[in-house]
Amino acid sequence: MKKIGILVKKEMTEILRDKKTLIIMIVMPLLLYPALLIGLSLGMSMLMESQEEAYTVGYLQEDEAYITPLISLYQREQEELDTELIFKGVKTEESHTAKEESDVWVDFSEEQQSIRIQVNYTSTNQSSNSTEDILQDLAEEYREELLLQNLEQEGLTEDFLYPVIYEAKDSVSTAESMGMSIGGSIGMLLITTILLGAFYPAVDITTGEKERGTLETLLTLPVTNFQMIMSKFISVSIVACATAVLALVALGGSVLFLMMAVPAELGESAIQIPIDVFLSSVPVVLLALITTALLITAFCMCFCVFAQSSKEANNYMTPIMLVIMLASMVGMMPTVDLNYKLSLIPFVNVSLLIKQVFAQQLSVSLALTTALVNAAYSIITIWVLAKMYNSEDIMFSDGFRSFRLFQKREDIKKGTIPATGDIGICVIVVLLAMIYLGGIVSARDVFLGTMATQLIILILPLALCWYMKTDIKQLFGMKSPKKSMLPGSILLYLGTYMAVILLSGIITKLFPEDMQSLGMTFEEIMGKPVFWVVLVVALMPAVGEECLFRGLVFGSMRHRYSVMWGILISAVIFGAFHGVAKLVPTGLLGAAFAYIVYKTGSIWVSMFLHFFNNLLSVVAMKYPDAVESVLPVLMKEELSVMEVVIMAVMAVVCITVGLVLMNRKHIANR
Amino acid sequence: MIRATNLCKQFEQSIKEGKKTRKVEFLAVDHASLYAKEGEIVGILGPNGAGKTTLLRMLGMLMTPTEGELELTDASGNLITDVTGKKGAIGYLSNNTKLYPRFSIREYLHFLGELYDHSEEEIEARIGHIFEVLDMESFGDNRIDKLSTGQTQRASIARCLMADPQLYILDEPTLGLDILSADAIIRFMQEQKESGKTVLYSTHYLEEAEVLCDRIYMICKGKIVAHGTPAELKAQTQTDTLRKAFHVIYDEATEGGVTV
Repeated sequence: MKKIGILVKKEMTEILRDKKTLIIMIVMPLLLYPALLIGLSLGMSMLMESQEEAYTVGYLQEDEAYITPLISLYQREQEELDTELIFKGVKTEESHTAKEESDVWVDFSEEQQSIRIQVNYTSTNQSSNSTEDILQDLAEEYREELLLQNLEQEGLTEDFLYPVIYEAKDSVSTAESMGMSIGGSIGMLLITTILLGAFYPAVDITTGEKERGTLETLLTLPVTNFQMIMSKFISVSIVACATAVLALVALGGSVLFLMMAVPAELGESAIQIPIDVFLSSVPVVLLALITTALLITAFCMCFCVFAQSSKEANNYMTPIMLVIMLASMVGMMPTVDLNYKLSLIPFVNVSLLIKQVFAQQLSVSLALTTALVNAAYSIITIWVLAKMYNSEDIMFSDGFRSFRLFQKREDIKKGTIPATGDIGICVIVVLLAMIYLGGIVSARDVFLGTMATQLIILILPLALCWYMKTDIKQLFGMKSPKKSMLPGSILLYLGTYMAVILLSGIITKLFPEDMQSLGMTFEEIMGKPVFWVVLVVALMPAVGEECLFRGLVFGSMRHRYSVMWGILISAVIFGAFHGVAKLVPTGLLGAAFAYIVYKTGSIWVSMFLHFFNNLLSVVAMKYPDAVESVLPVLMKEELSVMEVVIMAVMAVVCITVGLVLMNRKHIANR
Repeated sequence: MIRATNLCKQFEQSIKEGKKTRKVEFLAVDHASLYAKEGEIVGILGPNGAGKTTLLRMLGMLMTPTEGELELTDASGNLITDVTGKKGAIGYLSNNTKLYPRFSIREYLHFLGELYDHSEEEIEARIGHIFEVLDMESFGDNRIDKLSTGQTQRASIARCLMADPQLYILDEPTLGLDILSADAIIRFMQEQKESGKTVLYSTHYLEEAEVLCDRIYMICKGKIVAHGTPAELKAQTQTDTLRKAFHVIYDEATEGGVTV
């Protein structure tokens, strides 16, 4: 720990002695953003003012009688209008040139009982367009005035004309909607700042070490690689965080400045957020930003390690920067709101979170999830980074070799088991494909979307195994099960199932909205014929998810580390795939399945149990009455204390007996 | 003392066969066994690409051997087992161990002193001593990127001295230096030997090695092909200079296929 401290001091000195870093870290956020923000709003208001010019409306002098009411209406409302209109009557012989010169030309004609006002304008011309708008309003008012007069003559009131009155009231205050619109862009701005702040020092102290030839010197020091990489990571994170905080301060400062000093002149165009709301959102934004800074730092460093020169590092980073910036732009889309699914996507989540904060719709649990998710991603990335720094291939030459996925297929030996990095990439790709591809299809049709998601979960792991020439039968455990293990397996599953029901009950109480939305997607699928429902909800997940989580993840991880770690890792990933809210119960189920695969040596058992498990919920949803009559406990919204206790006892008993059955010595030895 | 037994390092090499490139694994260092004792200068000689740098990197703990064992004992003969301990006992210097350009020599040495767990007064005293020995007072506070080649090399030696290691591993330390700087390095190695330290170094300058080294290992294509004092090597090959001996040994090792 002390050594990391010394190293961090060294790295920080090195970073801070580089002028370019300082400029990006301090000058950019502190000067550029306020300048941009204040400049933009001032510029906008100036533009507004400059629009106050006069437009001309041309008409024939002989139409004087028709236009006079319009002119008097205009004069009455002149105060409220930004623009000034000049009405110019011309003689018939001059009309040709006048039509050219005036912004709009108005012709009048009388029909049976009405007056036709024809406004000739040019839609591509801004001033002509605005004039036409004003004239339209005036004409409509005029029409209404006449109508009311007519009504009065007939002895009727206004209600006769408007028997129905429609009025919409927005519950969102103007401050909130303003916050919404600027919050989206501020998220992107901040993420970009962090990116720039982290990028340069990251290149400087990873690739830069190689370039300056100091890497070997560093390796001679009496420190472990982990201490080395951690100190570098911490240093770059400090710079990235400092940039983020500076940017936040600068932005906050300029927002406050705009609110306090300028509103008198700017009027409504100034940004208006209540100060207390603004200040109270600072900690949340700060937390989200710091975790994002960590993630971005880890990301940048991961890619910089591969590069031999700054130029190469730039080449690697450009696409990454684009992706991150695109992701952070999601916040600017008006219809997208943060939810648990989106909070799993890095950068998108922070961008949306900041928007929420500004719209004053912050949900603490979502904010925490976002921070947690980002922290988790950072830890994974740092871990990959530490692995890379341990690889001589990467340190002393170009090192994409250590990831098998970057190897050509023909170079891979037969029967290779995927490495941790490969699994990580595969899981992330599956997740992204699920969210983006599955999401797009789901938007059209939930049923098809679920099907697509399940196919992705099945196909990607199989593709990875094909590429790596993995012995799938061996890795997945596609063999007939050890029969002696079956009773124990079934008991273990039943016990876990009960535990899952209890845990889900607790979680539903904690996160009611989340479980509700899950229920809704379910309902749409349940409307289909039984065959399809069973296929999509029970059979496909049983095959696909078992292949991915128990086959690929558990199979590889137990080989690489130990059975314990294999069960744990696969369970956590399995749980996480089903949403943060369901992480614990689903994870528990995943752990039980993995253990069953380990003991029986066969994935078929867990596939069957998984199928059975999902079939249960299909049956419960499809035929609630039938289930109610057989097993009423399953259908209850809330269990009584007695039932909970009984179920908990049964769960513990089943799990214990199951475990004991599977671990009996004479069976295990057989 | 350092002792290596059957050290191997395997690398991959791409070989082009028509349009296809094939990856071939080869041993850059092939079962090399060697030792170096206290108060000894041991030379590693060999043509370019023989595996000297890879061997020295493994001995210096920068690379992990694919196979083989490496033992390092401290001054009192105890085995050092942990990696950081080993790295702390080795002063490694090569053309690739450049110094941080944005630090001054004094700052850099101070940083090292902290890493090697010296106390503040100890660090100051050591830096003062090193500056005096290497005559660096005049430029010790300059930033390293502002130094001349000779000054930089002295700064590198200062780096090694700061750690006060048991064993020096120097990869071609005199390469490309003028006579004055090269002599300074040679003097440095001799002083270290006299103070009971171990020096292991590689060079292409055979005349230099002949006077300086107590023992010499000759390495060719990753294998150690000859070992002995300069006198023994000359006697073995019945030659009167080390340079001639080198040719004979090299020709034998490559079966006379290549002449140097």
